[in-house]
Amino acid sequence: MKSLSRIFLLAAVFTLAMCKSDDEAPTLPGPEEGAESPVHFLPDEVPYASLSEYGFFTGELKALEPAEDVLPYDLITPLFSDYAEKKRFVWMAPGSAASYNEDHLALNFDDGTVLIKNFYYPQALPSGEPRIIETRLMYKIDGEWHFAEYVWNEDQTEAHLDLSGSYMDISWLQNGAEEMGTNYRIPAEGECFTCHKTGTTAMPLGPKPQNLDKAYAYKDGVKNQLLKWQETGYLHGNIPSEINRLAGWDDPDALISERVRSYLDVNCSSCHLEGSHCDYRPIRLAWNETTSLENLGVCVEPDEWINAALIRIIAPGNVNRSVMHHRMATTEESLRMPLLGRTVVHEEGLALLEAYINTLEETCE
Amino acid sequence: MKSTFTALFFFASLLASFGQNTCAEAVEVSTGMITVEGILGEEIPLPICAQNGAGASGGMWYLFTPESDAEITLTTSLPENTGIDTRVHIYTGECGDLVCTAGDDDSGTGFLAEVSWTGTEGTSYYIAFDDRWDDSGFIALLSTSEIPVTPEAPFNFNTVALPSWSRTLGIVDMNGDHLDDALDVSPTAVFMSLQSESGAFETVAVASEPATFPYVWSIAAGDLNADGYNDLLYGGGSGVSFMYRGEDGGDFTEWHTPDYVFSQRSNFIDLNNDGRLDAFVCHDVQPNVYYINNGVDLDFFQGGLSDVPDGGNYGSIWVDYDNDGLSDLFIAKCRGGASLANYNQLFKNNGDGTFTEVSEEAGLYDNVQTWSSAWGDFNNDGYMDVLVGASSFAQGGHKLMMNNGDGTFTDETEGSGFDNLSATGIEWVAYDFDNDGLIDVLGGSGRFMMNKGDGTFELFTFDGVTNGPVGDMNNDGFLDIGNQGNIHFNTGNDNNWIKINTVGVESNLNGIGARVEVHTPSGTQIRDVQSGVGFRFMHTLNVHFGLGEETVLDSLIIKWPTGNVDVHTNLEINTFHILTEGDAEEEEEIVHTDDLIKEGFLLYPNPTKDVLNFEFVTRPKAAAVAAVFDMQGRMVFQRPYADRLDVSALEAGFYLIRITDRETVVEKKFVKVP
Repeated sequence: MKSLSRIFLLAAVFTLAMCKSDDEAPTLPGPEEGAESPVHFLPDEVPYASLSEYGFFTGELKALEPAEDVLPYDLITPLFSDYAEKKRFVWMAPGSAASYNEDHLALNFDDGTVLIKNFYYPQALPSGEPRIIETRLMYKIDGEWHFAEYVWNEDQTEAHLDLSGSYMDISWLQNGAEEMGTNYRIPAEGECFTCHKTGTTAMPLGPKPQNLDKAYAYKDGVKNQLLKWQETGYLHGNIPSEINRLAGWDDPDALISERVRSYLDVNCSSCHLEGSHCDYRPIRLAWNETTSLENLGVCVEPDEWINAALIRIIAPGNVNRSVMHHRMATTEESLRMPLLGRTVVHEEGLALLEAYINTLEETCE
Repeated sequence: MKSTFTALFFFASLLASFGQNTCAEAVEVSTGMITVEGILGEEIPLPICAQNGAGASGGMWYLFTPESDAEITLTTSLPENTGIDTRVHIYTGECGDLVCTAGDDDSGTGFLAEVSWTGTEGTSYYIAFDDRWDDSGFIALLSTSEIPVTPEAPFNFNTVALPSWSRTLGIVDMNGDHLDDALDVSPTAVFMSLQSESGAFETVAVASEPATFPYVWSIAAGDLNADGYNDLLYGGGSGVSFMYRGEDGGDFTEWHTPDYVFSQRSNFIDLNNDGRLDAFVCHDVQPNVYYINNGVDLDFFQGGLSDVPDGGNYGSIWVDYDNDGLSDLFIAKCRGGASLANYNQLFKNNGDGTFTEVSEEAGLYDNVQTWSSAWGDFNNDGYMDVLVGASSFAQGGHKLMMNNGDGTFTDETEGSGFDNLSATGIEWVAYDFDNDGLIDVLGGSGRFMMNKGDGTFELFTFDGVTNGPVGDMNNDGFLDIGNQGNIHFNTGNDNNWIKINTVGVESNLNGIGARVEVHTPSGTQIRDVQSGVGFRFMHTLNVHFGLGEETVLDSLIIKWPTGNVDVHTNLEINTFHILTEGDAEEEEEIVHTDDLIKEGFLLYPNPTKDVLNFEFVTRPKAAAVAAVFDMQGRMVFQRPYADRLDVSALEAGFYLIRITDRETVVEKKFVKVP
């Protein structure tokens, strides 16, 4: 999967063309007022009706070749989204920058920041060619985050704004071998907000130091992302030299317990966190909280009865009696976890959880 | 690995020679330790008498015959078995034709089993362990003791698996005969297990157009087009689909709007009281939505019935909390984090299509994390009370809120039994399960809180019975419960009952929103006809009353949503009656109703569209006057008294009528509806 996104990048390098927009680039107040960006972002006019209007990408839109100042980034552990691959970018208005808060908290972004996340299948069927499904934006204006959702057309020439949610029947070749498909859910604005919030305040989830602290193959060489952001002027202030970074969920060299904790942080902790959608349930699944087995749900009795067999959230050594396993293994919408953003079972994530539960030898009271 | 395999193989062959691999070869045991080397036998214990269903591939069989009547206990809950997951079935009968006596999976510590049953002298009991979870070896302890005296449950259940049936989402009439049927749905079909008068069930599948938003979170039934067949509403994760039943019970046609709705509880209710059924759906993350029936299809609306921007709406229930004849809306709410979305809300129906939030003055604005609430008149004082059932104890526990009759509620949880109920749950419903005339609560996954009539509730559980749709699947007047493919038939007791189905004429055909009162010498009971109670399931649309030992029914009064009042005085008890709006006895018979006796005066219908009728024990003297006042105390008009008063010219709203003959004065509030 990673090699494929590199192919995308390489292809982009070959066709590199820095098309400056003819439009007068807008500016937001800031220390570097007057600097220009090829990106077109007028706070009073966004969200635009189509993705191309922003000028985030140069050349053919579907190549997702970032314009100047649009910085690609990647995460140590990504959210599972029905096996869709993602290309992420950040753009900040001239003069805007982010600052460090805590390892486990999203960076403090300025107004005029746009996070851009493109969802695609590298081998969509029947063509076997890449197909981009949707591009999600989060942008910050007047101290508040907003959502915009762009759905790509069949021809892959444009993506149009649609915040009301929709379905798309899609099938693809997984790992170049297995044919898979689903009725892919493109979220409505309310679905974005359900996960992307603290209390009633919208917020981004991915760009946390603990998940950004990794090397990335930029066009001009491999570099740690946080360093690159600093160099670019997208990140200022002090950043600790040591970050309590996530283990890669699929890193074979990492401890199983850390891989599971990383997976649960990214896929589950947006709701299972104090102040979030489901904080009335007992588990706490953020990376910095799952050092406690109780927070992970080990031996914890569930609030919600599913069936008589499922008597613990995690039953040590007993996958069949673990609610967490049951909810990750089902596609039944009222039972599945995560609640949103998944319609097929993530077999590799489930196998990881199984392996972890089988390592546990605690005896529950 | 190799040595383990050899060892197992050795044990297997050794034990085979000892028997116990099959029922026929069951080993006779006496009290004391039983060493089970592993689940090595090939005969799977059937039927399954313990929890957690099929999945075993083998068993180990033993036989025990007590020498005297005794309580027999078998346990694997021993320290030596830590980490092992056992399951056991206890049978009587012949091999190949065994009958369950008892069984257990997890009653011991961890995943160990412990089961007790009452043994009869000389009867042989088969004890069969299976490998549903684990084929490891373990030890079990068999012991006998004196038969304990246990409090007898006021009723019991007999569990029956319906033929060709796997999931029960509803117990509601689906073929227009007013008898409850079992209901299940898929994205392309509606399944019904139809109750017949013979007691047999017929399972049928009726095709539906594909549901754009299949059932996920809740299902509701009601007759949108008043053709005699209930239609369905699917509360999906991203929207709502309606399924209209075809003509004469034909295939279902789908209708939806593309609007994003993260559905939770859904209801059918006539929101604007025009005689056509409308629909309401809780939205988890936005203001609630509703669908007004325009006679052809539905018009979508969002907002006005809880406008909290981030929603938190889980368990809507339509109930007349202030006895003004109008269905009000209570919403059980839930939300993590710093948000107002988890505060429960009560909306008072103003009768003119508008609603006023009265959560705080009522005393129900509470942030307990709840997915549904059980409404019923628990103390039979004529006002609907509510048990707010906690789904989590993070922000407080279950709350029993008693209606004071003046628009406020008092917290009477302490000492009620709900303060000690440790189970949480998302389904909470109120029904009289033992027909004693007191409404009980079922919630917290199979916890029956039986109303003792003194403000306290006693916990009962029944093996294998959990929350599910409630209705009467054999028309015996005792309420049954559906769980997956099973119906738990309430085996009942000697208590009396009456059950009715409301057929609206001017009101919506289901009579949803009607208030039904039963008046007997021992008191009055009330019910509201509701589509959509609890969280997920569709419960019966028939109205059920337990009558206890009462054999006299003074009257059954139906106050229809459109304002008509029918007073029935000649209904047989222990009978299911189908009662059509306007189909009551003549008005003269009303004289005997106890409202009239109690108050000396009766006014109906209330609410009214056009006229008010009066009945007096002692009629007013000549020259009496009837005066109508608005709620500000201003007189609207005054007329010479007659038994019938035309109020059709009044604007919709609340009024007071005062009738006086200068010696006596009677006053009563009434509601004028459009």
